[in-house]
Amino acid sequence: MTLPAVLDLRLISKSFAATAALTGMSLSILPGEVHAIVGENGAGKSTLIKIMTGVHQPDSGEIRIDGQPVTLRSTQEAQAAGIAAIYQEPMVFPDLNVAENIFISNRAQGAFMRWSAIYAEAETLIAQLGVTLDVRRAASGLTLAEQQTVEIARALSLSVKVLIMDEPTASLSAHEVARLLAIARALKDRGVAVIYISHRLDEIFRIADRVSVIRDGQLISTKPIAEVTEDSLVQDMVGRALDSYAVKTAANPHGEVALSARALARAGVFQGVTFDLARGEVLCLAGLVGARRTDVALALFGIAPATTGQIILNGAPVTIATPRQAMDLGIAYVSEDRRKLGLAMTLAIRSNISLASLRKLLGPFGLINRKAEADMAETYRQQLAIRAADTTVEVGKLSGGNQQKVMLAKWLETKPKVMIFDEPTRGIDVGAKAEVHNIIRALATEGVAVLVISSDLPEVLALADRVLVMREGRQAGILPIEDATQERVIAMAAGQTERPAA
Amino acid sequence: MTGIFHRVSPQSLRLIALALALLATILFFSTQIDGYLSPRMFNRVTTSVAVVLPLAVGQAIVIMTRNIDLSVGSILGVVAYLTGQLLAVLPDLHPVLVVTLAMSIGALAGAINGALVAWGRVPAIIVTLGTLALFRSFLVEYSDAKTITTASLPAWLVDLPQANAVTVAGFDLRVTVVLALAACIIVGLSLAHLRWARRFYAVGSNPDAAIMAGINPHRVVFVAFVLSGALAGLSGFLFLAKFGNITVVAGMGFELKSIAAAVVGGVSIMGGTGSMLGVLMGALLVDTIDNSLTRWDLVSEFWREALLGFLIMAAVTMDTVATRSLAKLRAKGGQA
Repeated sequence: MTLPAVLDLRLISKSFAATAALTGMSLSILPGEVHAIVGENGAGKSTLIKIMTGVHQPDSGEIRIDGQPVTLRSTQEAQAAGIAAIYQEPMVFPDLNVAENIFISNRAQGAFMRWSAIYAEAETLIAQLGVTLDVRRAASGLTLAEQQTVEIARALSLSVKVLIMDEPTASLSAHEVARLLAIARALKDRGVAVIYISHRLDEIFRIADRVSVIRDGQLISTKPIAEVTEDSLVQDMVGRALDSYAVKTAANPHGEVALSARALARAGVFQGVTFDLARGEVLCLAGLVGARRTDVALALFGIAPATTGQIILNGAPVTIATPRQAMDLGIAYVSEDRRKLGLAMTLAIRSNISLASLRKLLGPFGLINRKAEADMAETYRQQLAIRAADTTVEVGKLSGGNQQKVMLAKWLETKPKVMIFDEPTRGIDVGAKAEVHNIIRALATEGVAVLVISSDLPEVLALADRVLVMREGRQAGILPIEDATQERVIAMAAGQTERPAA
Repeated sequence: MTGIFHRVSPQSLRLIALALALLATILFFSTQIDGYLSPRMFNRVTTSVAVVLPLAVGQAIVIMTRNIDLSVGSILGVVAYLTGQLLAVLPDLHPVLVVTLAMSIGALAGAINGALVAWGRVPAIIVTLGTLALFRSFLVEYSDAKTITTASLPAWLVDLPQANAVTVAGFDLRVTVVLALAACIIVGLSLAHLRWARRFYAVGSNPDAAIMAGINPHRVVFVAFVLSGALAGLSGFLFLAKFGNITVVAGMGFELKSIAAAVVGGVSIMGGTGSMLGVLMGALLVDTIDNSLTRWDLVSEFWREALLGFLIMAAVTMDTVATRSLAKLRAKGGQA
């Protein structure tokens, strides 16, 4: 450990208004290491990244790069100093092609675009990452994983010394994760230090050399990966021992069948989906990204209705062509994309919660009963432990986990008989995740039939009573929870043509 | 059939569609209006397009960055009036200096728009709606409702609209047309080959990603408005040359024409895309229809405005529909 640190943060503090985001944070990154950073949401990770990338400036403390103190006033300066970042939501320009995306911020290229040279260099960079990608393609058609590859290539073109990956795998399928980890190793072999931030502890054990835990804006520990266990990490993160962060309660006794699908299909999207879902049961839809699981949910909820097959609700065949029909039948859908489909970010918590059940709140003259709305929202705030001063707070100002709870409250208020969750814990931290899991299990215990779509296999295994595996738009099979292991689910989801991810 | 959709980009498809629409328009009116396919009509249309084209080019740059400039018509009017007044006092100014001055006045007005949008964080539609009225009111107040007349202008400017650059097979290309084309081509080449100009696309395509890529989006938006103002200034000069008589209503309603040309020419109102070849063809189509309608006896010329409005809506609707069905076609092709 005599190597000098490539990036050294010394006693960095940063406050926003009265809130201290970082207090005396120190962190030392060595060249050619994969350095994982873990911590709950709100621990200060985002602020830390923003300070390293020049978005924010620290109130006090010092940043050293290769031993030299530096001031990073913008992302541009951070890039010039050799620090770049890629994010969970890739930052690409959909209207520009791959090559141009890679070189957009490259200043070393003169005032004119030498297109042939740009294409050639882009091809070299992409090839170095061990990926095949047409550099003349517009970025708008790329998958999330491909967009990330473009971002990494962009960072490489700037000859970065430190690449920060912020939750890079949150939206990736298992084999895409494997490829991203391979890219991270390739970067490391080139001497680039990779700062890897992820909620998925299993990935950290696959890739990291050292791991730092931060909590409440401070560094709790930095240890070689060999010296830590999942339990010890979680314990450091939450500051207390959690005996069960993903341990399922006993399976619920199931009631009669609530929802059935018979050879459900939507032309050109998915086909042959057949299952029975009982009251009190949790059925998880597992599969790789692109297996069309969300499309099944969209069909059940009437957003993109099924074209053939049958949906049977409480024994009677039904037609669901619009979300309104689905809601009237007692089906609720908690979407994956909170921002786009789930929440009105600029509205107050209470207005969001009441949005799907305004009819119940109508008073005389068809006006909304404000008092009843406030009371109802307040009940949920306490029941679901939504962390906000009161229910007038704008939803956009809450953390991801709390936004998810607001969305849950909205749909719970419709008193659904069937509830569909699409990636309910994506991008939310370990503590909030456990809470959301508990809420889902509690719902099932109350007799709601629950369908959960999740790409997080440990989550699937923790929540499900049965697992329906999908592959490329078809149902690959249904596993009872006793037979479902990570290996079996992945093998089914990937099929024979794919090599099961390690 | 689907093979074509895979090889030809949506942008090229649109250019082909525009060319066909232009051809169809010309063919249609040639059966309706006597002597339509004549050098005279060609001149009438091209010199009219010359005034609109710089406006449309500037508008296109602004729209590319996800903004809009409603004040270009008023800027045109102010520049035409001020330039005319200046020439009445100093008739010996060098033509190059006159054009530069006109563009500078326009750029100054654009800078006001740009600063308010980029750093004031006021939505462009509000800022430029405000300046549309403000610049126009300034003109009314400043001119005291007096008119600039051809008589007060130097001879070279009065003769400029009739000056030919080249003549091909009896069809003349006027100097003013060449000026406007040059502006369009210079901007077009810059957008394709200048690293800095690629940022207009980047900022419009994904503003957040632009910030992360170390681009200052405020500066880019500001420059877009300054360019739009400067090009409106050029249009103002060309307007002065073409008409000679400048009243306080000069250039009124030209914002609609410029937006129509840009949008019909394939500049996406969502930002991030657009080519100057498309804008040129959009301007040609819009102005050909406009000029033809005034000569067409069957329809009152008061329908021209309505037709512009219709064209804008049709272009955007077609875009949405085409993009959607193209995506569907590709999805199907991808599965096969």
